[in-house]
Amino acid sequence: MSGDLVKVRDLAVRFVSRDRTVHAVRGVDFDLAAGEVLCILGESGSGKSVTLRALMRLNPAARTLMEGTVQVAGRDVVAASEREMEEIRGSLVSMVFQEPMTALDPVFTIGQQIGETVMRHEGLSKAEARKRALELLDLVQIPSAERRLAAYPHELSGGLRQRAMIAIALSCRPKLLLADEPTTALDATVQIQILLLLRRLQQELGMGVIFVTHDLGVAGEIADRIAVMYAGRFVEEGSVREVMRKARHPYTQGLLGATVHEGMRGKRLVTIAGAPPNLETPPGGMPPDICAFAPRCERADAACEQGVPALDGAFGTHRARCIHQIAEAVTC
Amino acid sequence: MADPLLDPVPDLGGPAQPLLLVQNLSRHFGKKGSVVRAVDGVSFAVKKGETLGIVGESGCGKSTTSRLIMGLIEPSGGEVIFDGEHVGPGGMPLSVYRRQVQMVFQDSYASLNPRLTIGESIGFAPRVHGLSREATDARVRDLLAAVGLAPDQFARRYPHELSGGQRQRVNIARALALRPRLIILDEPVSALDKSVEAQVLNLLVDLKAEFDLSYLFISHDLNVVQFIADRVLVMYLGQVVEIGPVEALYREAAHPYTAALLASRPSMDPDLRRTTPPLTGDPPNPVNPPSGCRFHPRCAVVQRGCDIHVPPLADVSSGHLAACVRVGAA
Repeated sequence: MSGDLVKVRDLAVRFVSRDRTVHAVRGVDFDLAAGEVLCILGESGSGKSVTLRALMRLNPAARTLMEGTVQVAGRDVVAASEREMEEIRGSLVSMVFQEPMTALDPVFTIGQQIGETVMRHEGLSKAEARKRALELLDLVQIPSAERRLAAYPHELSGGLRQRAMIAIALSCRPKLLLADEPTTALDATVQIQILLLLRRLQQELGMGVIFVTHDLGVAGEIADRIAVMYAGRFVEEGSVREVMRKARHPYTQGLLGATVHEGMRGKRLVTIAGAPPNLETPPGGMPPDICAFAPRCERADAACEQGVPALDGAFGTHRARCIHQIAEAVTC
Repeated sequence: MADPLLDPVPDLGGPAQPLLLVQNLSRHFGKKGSVVRAVDGVSFAVKKGETLGIVGESGCGKSTTSRLIMGLIEPSGGEVIFDGEHVGPGGMPLSVYRRQVQMVFQDSYASLNPRLTIGESIGFAPRVHGLSREATDARVRDLLAAVGLAPDQFARRYPHELSGGQRQRVNIARALALRPRLIILDEPVSALDKSVEAQVLNLLVDLKAEFDLSYLFISHDLNVVQFIADRVLVMYLGQVVEIGPVEALYREAAHPYTAALLASRPSMDPDLRRTTPPLTGDPPNPVNPPSGCRFHPRCAVVQRGCDIHVPPLADVSSGHLAACVRVGAA
């Protein structure tokens, strides 16, 4: 593993308010090489979006306790001042969100929103900014770019809005692009267009990409590596082929089995009984930390309640956080 | 049992008569100049005991169709026939019809009254229809058990105390409360996590057999529809472009739009990644749809005349129809 673009060690994120503390991320480690695409796969509440936001320190400052090491291109994101963060955001790291309609500002045109970013970070003049905005709209394949520069977000279709948001994210040539379910709100025929666009841009610009999704199919289309997240921790990590074909963690295997795909007609779908744990501190304080999946796991036994299993690297770069892991060929 | 409310409405027309027949149904929104033809001359049937899937992208009219069938909005034209009887004035009264057709929506939270307990929500319609308090309580308990929620634990809870999957189970139980014969499921699993989605899909399969139901299952997820539907209807800009048995339609899509939709599914196999998108651009705005075949501006195999002539639904094979000139010609 080379950690030349992103290095995360023992990242923990807690949300603290007067009457409760939620342990959203409970110890995440990973590296990302330049030009690599990592997909963080997980269900709602698993901590995948919080992890992603931690890389740009976008979690609400007043309520968030962040611990551990987060370095992006050598810059320390945990210790950086708010002013340094403003430099890092946009020029070094940028993000594409799920809902372009809420992420874009409704009262400014697309051209103004792209221009603002490049004028702020690169000190371009208004005319230069407009030229750059045009290039960017071409880059993300928005037809009749000249006319679209003057359009407001509500005048664009969902697919074009998402392309415009990608254009803004790429406007200062970031080294790292973070994408939080960027295709979830889109129609099927548009989703595949945006995935292909992101993959092509990532290759052409040599960016590192961290892509958060709940959709195994999307991960299969775009990832080099997949990390499966459950209850605030990575429970499995490996290359896209390793995870999709030889999943080792019972949770990953359950997810693969529960995802409806071709050839499952008339069969019973595999389900994972129960629900993910509540990550709030209970009234009696935090109980001893065990394998978070054990209560739902068919393979669980007493040994699973002796502490948190390590993310085991016995299989090289394919690692799983389970003491009973078996390589099972999961057909997909 | 003596109480007619405890039993489903009996079958009238026999097994061969479609349970639901939709004929030339239309709904236009807006005024002169900018009319949205959200649903434009849609006809289809739901047979007794089958699941008909409706797929299409946003703006294709699939949800408007479901609301028209449910009688939640007035059609601009066309009619709905339920078990051989015209629904509406002069035919089956809406109160009788709505007992037999119920609906489950995508947003499990918005579709439950936050001030009613789960038990009150499920028992609401039976009480309105005159079922006694005791009989309603018994029915609520049966229904909660049927959808896999322990009655003692859940009947007194409020919607916000439940997870999304549990709430959707409650919505399904409520839809079953009047012993309907047809349930319209409008994106019932789209907001759920994958592991929960699988649980709810299994439940829907079980309930269909247990309560002798027919489903109209609306979804944008082609994999889910392939799993649950017997026949599939594909909509594009307010019109039916293809309808047929699920195996035939997924094996050999006859309409270029259906083919593109199927090809747009992520592959799940990193070695089978696509390199070019099947379609470019977004679905067009339903205000001022394209002339002729509405799909022609995005179609890969467009021919001369596609922008003028509206292709009718033509037979591909038995029970499989598609609205494309290439089908009629071949």
